[in-house]
Amino acid sequence: MSLPEFKLLRARELRQALEFLGKCAGSALPGQTARAPDSRERLSLHDSGLRVVAGGTDLIPSMKQKLFEPEYVLDLRAIRELRGIRPLADGGVEIGALTTLREIERSAFLRQHYPVLTEAAASVASPVLRNMGTIGGNICLDTRCLWYNQSLTWRKGCGFCIKKDGDLCHVAPGGAKCWAAFSGDTPPALLCLDAELELASATGTRRVALRDFYTGLGDNYRNLQRNELLTRVLLPASSAGFTGVYRKLRVRGSIDYPLAGVAVAMKRYNSHIADARIGITAVNPAPLLVAGASELLAGKTLDESLAEAAGDMAAKISKPLTTSALTPEYRREMIRVFTKRAVLAAAQAEN
Amino acid sequence: MNSKFSIIGKPTAMVDAAEKTTGSGKYTDDLSVPGMLVGKILHSPYPHARIKAIDTNKAEKLDGVVAVAVGQDAPKTYGILPVGHDEYPLALDKVRYVGDNVACVVATSEAIAERALELIDVDYEVLPGYFDPEESMKAKSDLIHDHKLNNIEKDYHHVFGDPERGLAEADQVAEARFISNEVTHAAMEPHSTLASFEIDPHTGKPGRLTVWSSTQVPYYLQHKLSLVLEMPMQQIRVIKPLVGGGFGGKSEVIPLEIIAAIAARKAKAPVKITYTREEVFWAHRGRPRTIIDLKTGVKKDGRITAVKARVVQDGGAYCSYGVVTILYSGALLGALYDIPNIQFDGYRVLTNKPACGAMRGHGTVNVRFAFESQLDELASAIGMDPAEIRRRNLLHSPCITVNGLRVQSYGLPECIEKTVERSGWKERKGKLAKGRGLGIACSHYVSGAANSIIRSDMPHSTVNIKIDRDGGVVVYTGASEIGQGSDTMTAQIAAETLGCSLSRIRVVAADTDLTPIDIGSYSSRVTFMAGNATLRAAGEVKKLIAAAAAKTMSCDPEDVVFRDDLITKKVCVGTDAVVRPAEQGSAASVSGRVEGQILRGSLQQKRKEEGPKESTTFEEAVVTAIDFHGALTGTGSYAPPAEARGGKHKGAGVGPSPAYSYSAQVAEVSVDEETGEVTVHKVWAAHDCGRALNPVSVEGQIIGSVWMGMGQALTEEMVWKDGMLMNPGLLEYRSPSSVESPEVEPIIVESVDPEGPFGAKECSEGSLAATIPAIANAIYDAVGVRLHESPFTPERVLAALRAKKLAKTLNLTEGIDPTAPSRFREHGGSLWFKGKGPERHPLDPSRQADAPAGGAD
Repeated sequence: MSLPEFKLLRARELRQALEFLGKCAGSALPGQTARAPDSRERLSLHDSGLRVVAGGTDLIPSMKQKLFEPEYVLDLRAIRELRGIRPLADGGVEIGALTTLREIERSAFLRQHYPVLTEAAASVASPVLRNMGTIGGNICLDTRCLWYNQSLTWRKGCGFCIKKDGDLCHVAPGGAKCWAAFSGDTPPALLCLDAELELASATGTRRVALRDFYTGLGDNYRNLQRNELLTRVLLPASSAGFTGVYRKLRVRGSIDYPLAGVAVAMKRYNSHIADARIGITAVNPAPLLVAGASELLAGKTLDESLAEAAGDMAAKISKPLTTSALTPEYRREMIRVFTKRAVLAAAQAEN
Repeated sequence: MNSKFSIIGKPTAMVDAAEKTTGSGKYTDDLSVPGMLVGKILHSPYPHARIKAIDTNKAEKLDGVVAVAVGQDAPKTYGILPVGHDEYPLALDKVRYVGDNVACVVATSEAIAERALELIDVDYEVLPGYFDPEESMKAKSDLIHDHKLNNIEKDYHHVFGDPERGLAEADQVAEARFISNEVTHAAMEPHSTLASFEIDPHTGKPGRLTVWSSTQVPYYLQHKLSLVLEMPMQQIRVIKPLVGGGFGGKSEVIPLEIIAAIAARKAKAPVKITYTREEVFWAHRGRPRTIIDLKTGVKKDGRITAVKARVVQDGGAYCSYGVVTILYSGALLGALYDIPNIQFDGYRVLTNKPACGAMRGHGTVNVRFAFESQLDELASAIGMDPAEIRRRNLLHSPCITVNGLRVQSYGLPECIEKTVERSGWKERKGKLAKGRGLGIACSHYVSGAANSIIRSDMPHSTVNIKIDRDGGVVVYTGASEIGQGSDTMTAQIAAETLGCSLSRIRVVAADTDLTPIDIGSYSSRVTFMAGNATLRAAGEVKKLIAAAAAKTMSCDPEDVVFRDDLITKKVCVGTDAVVRPAEQGSAASVSGRVEGQILRGSLQQKRKEEGPKESTTFEEAVVTAIDFHGALTGTGSYAPPAEARGGKHKGAGVGPSPAYSYSAQVAEVSVDEETGEVTVHKVWAAHDCGRALNPVSVEGQIIGSVWMGMGQALTEEMVWKDGMLMNPGLLEYRSPSSVESPEVEPIIVESVDPEGPFGAKECSEGSLAATIPAIANAIYDAVGVRLHESPFTPERVLAALRAKKLAKTLNLTEGIDPTAPSRFREHGGSLWFKGKGPERHPLDPSRQADAPAGGAD
């Protein structure tokens, strides 16, 4: 399979990248000014005349499969200011969007203060892919589905699907919602850490909580305007010092995307849980923070049954469909088991 | 000089190791010739459809497109088996699976060719498709091939002995259904073919054809090209460059190999086609999904009284090797254990999916999984140790089994003994921690089929050797090196026989213009057959050298010993009279040796001076022999002996082999009872390879077999939905990664076969089949559940565990947990949301306009 033809734009600094982005966002929608994407407006991702490439581990295979045939590809890799982990004076940390997953995995600072993130980053794909893949890319990872991540010829065989070129969803044939699963490993960890994202455009920057970044729709899964770029990930000081565990269901010990993933961040006070958060991934079109988990766990002493209750809570909001290997029932069951285990492990973990 | 041998039996680096590891080696896709164009194939999007019309006009008009080939350009059928000529290179009237070949665009670049594919209009009339073999067998209309009634490619019904009486006499009978799901080779190198016609200087038309292809069978490719292109075989030259793994997936003619030639003829230019990974999955020829209904009886003392097997193979849309596969699945019930009564009913069924074919352990693997699992069940039913029940059923070699297979060397007893000993079976079995267990299983395989695909009396392998005055030995063999070590084996046998160093040997292999016919690298035949041919060719040359050397040493040719680049009188071997090559070298240089060559004049001078000698160097002896005989060449060939070719019943041709390899394995696994995940910690794998010509290579083959078997046991499965392959890539088709690969302890057992070259038998395939049941039996030992369907995915294991807990009889071949709230078999359309209905898309008119956007969960 060949890459479709495109024009490569290489930005050396952020300002330049944002200008490119602004121009293309404008040209893709003639006569309109760039605006926040309406979730009712379908296929905006695929209509876009420009795609951004950082590590390329998600975009390049998708382009070969003709999921994206952009006129322009904007290469960010030379933008130094978006790379690196910078502890902030207030105790929080700022992570440049181009920081590789490998750098995050190996960061002593993050391991000490935000261990759930390093553990999740270390589980992404394989070492080779982590050398290339970036944290920004993992957050913006396209949702995945067996009916979508296929070649053009293959997709033609099934008559296409909502997410690209078609009008029905093969995994939930009755409806018109795209159920492609969000399959990033780091976002559930980042959700536990109350991460904020800095989104920049030529006209300014804004900050959005990670939990508001995802829409829950498989085909238009993120709130990112066409002229915007994810530039930084910010972790607040208040999330530092939580123990962290990430548990990932996969068939192989390496390479695989998660089939279900659970992140747990926990703060203990003596033998009690002071605070705990649970994030899940790969079982919904968006990574989710398990609502009510903090209330369930905080102030209590952890035991097996409490961990199980947390597992049930997480399983309740997971709605895996047949978007990947292993049956949905099994994957949901594993959210329950893995949450239980992750909560127990987080309570055991050293700070 | 401790060993009887100086070359074989020593760990030897592969002769092509450096070019492969440095990247300088050339695989087919690395090749290019001037004016070469790119071919891309248009595949069918439908599993079963009639082609009403194909319009290639728009595609042909695209800038950069040179030609578009369609079925009419070569409307001839072919197939690897003479009984299965059912494939057109490009579909003529019908497509039979998603991925079937419809047209081929030849263009100046891959991107242009891909764009042109989108411009070809094909008018299809869609037909009902058949995806399940048991459903397909009921078909009355819209047959996949008109002449194959009930979509059955072939069925066989064999009875040896009296199975009914055997079962009646048994003290314990087990009966169950086993399913092995479909797996594929996943060789690293995708198939690639470059085809180039020479222009005939007399006619100006395309003349001779040269094809470079990633194939295990250059000779069969030459043969099929000749059939389809209607050209004489001698006008076609097939060259096999380096091949990055085959495992059976390149052991027949794959569509692109013929399509490339047709396209090159039409485009009047060289054309290269390299498959994408998805196309490799469509070309497939892997191991079919197999349904095995197995019934076995044993006496209280563990003796097997009878086996009845009904085997249904989901063969896909074309015959391929199918007739052979189904026959192997029955024939190889014999020759491992002594089974007096066997009944076999085998059905090879057509379905609208890519064709299955030969894959490592061809035909035997899935039935072996069923049999070894059932034997384990029977052992526990009669209260016998699983290793012991296998010992109770050993053959007494030499013998001929009830189904006509001749066994002459039988290392199985030693294989069992060694694995039991090394794994600490006696001390540890049943005493491991909860959730951890040991399992044992055995397997075997042919060392080459005794009967070739194309029935004839021709030798299966022929080898030529030429030695020139430089003392270099060139071995010409048709055997195909595909990474298994064929070239190294050839060099080793030649060097050992001629008593010369390995560096003197150059192997020229698998080029139909240069090398004599060898039927290819499949059915683990190369070491045994091409090895024997090499042995004979080298023996012939050796005789010539010995005759000449004997003259100079004034002794009989029989009294001459070849070893370590020296030719010595037998009586002088090991005495001081032997001139070491180093001393000889310095002496020779005085008398006129130049750069390793001995000039004729100076040699004669030397002879005169020295008179009769006790020993001479290899180079000297070669020169003398050439002077004496005029030329130094030898030919050897091998055809299996008549006694090894099997019985007379219908289908008796498949299964017989001149020799069988044997394997026993113990696997140690642990099972997570909450998730159903299985971890393999270690596998002890003993393999009887007759004699290990290259021990490091044998060990590599054993480890590779175990690893590949583990893939089929735990993670690999081709997943289908209405004829669509849901995982046509190495991301979703999950071969194990290094992370979950266990330690494998290979144990070499040498039974020294009377007919193998230096006693060698096969070592590349036989070990695979034991791994799957060894793991299944270890799972049983660990947590007490029997898995009857492979792969043993965590959900299947969990389902079995849950059923055990609920004390429910669970049909484990359903692949799902019937105790779970909803049933699910295939991908696409879970019932999870049944009743509630999925969340509607905001654009769905049935959804209210004011429904909240986003955050649907």
